[in-house]
Amino acid sequence: MLEDTGFTDVRIGPPVDTFAGATGEEKAHAFEVFGYAFLARKPERERG
Amino acid sequence: MTEELVVDVDTLREQVREKYREVAVAPHSEYHFHTGRPLAGKLGYDAAIVDALPDRAVESFAGVGNPFSLRAIRPGERVVDVGSGAGFDSFVAAALVGRSGGVVGVDMTAEMLEKSRSTATQLDYSRVEFREGFAEALPVEDGWADVVISNGVINLCADKRAVFDEIRRVLRPGGALQFADIANGRPVPPEALRDIDLWTG
Repeated sequence: MLEDTGFTDVRIGPPVDTFAGATGEEKAHAFEVFGYAFLARKPERERG
Repeated sequence: MTEELVVDVDTLREQVREKYREVAVAPHSEYHFHTGRPLAGKLGYDAAIVDALPDRAVESFAGVGNPFSLRAIRPGERVVDVGSGAGFDSFVAAALVGRSGGVVGVDMTAEMLEKSRSTATQLDYSRVEFREGFAEALPVEDGWADVVISNGVINLCADKRAVFDEIRRVLRPGGALQFADIANGRPVPPEALRDIDLWTG
């Protein structure tokens, strides 16, 4: 979706098991939910 | 482009407000997610910056990742924090941009805004300002920001396309969006997607 909305140079960091040890862990693991860092850039020139 | 929304925007916002109102006023209660300094440590935040912050700036932190991990914030940059909560990521950004930079945190929950604003006053951080607003309608002028950050917020917005469009509007050309959020590796059944309780825990 980032690229669909005009962002470029998208990078995604490694997954973090952010719910591990919390009460939401079971539900998170059921759907393989992890936290990620994302980086994207607004182009210098917008697409026409 | 229009996207079909699977939940009612206003109902979801009210449920999110209710959840994070609790996190603001009772940060040490048990939630389905981690909070506070242990979470900041787990996510790899710069310990020197976090240690320098007062408890009230950190205790209600409920992020899901580290938006500073893929790109360093530079001195002098102007940063918008979408869904700033009690202000933790905004205060980290403020430490990184220094006195020549600026940070605007935007949140929709009154209790979070009250907490972040009083912490900014306590820290005498005039370069940090907290404004009331929605991720889909940021109270920031076009092209103001060098960087937009966010942490665990966009997944709680019903219309993600509208959020990204709005972030692009407030970024200057060439500006960076660096955020943390959750993503699922297994598809969530449609009936679960429409269950609003599951969005907030």
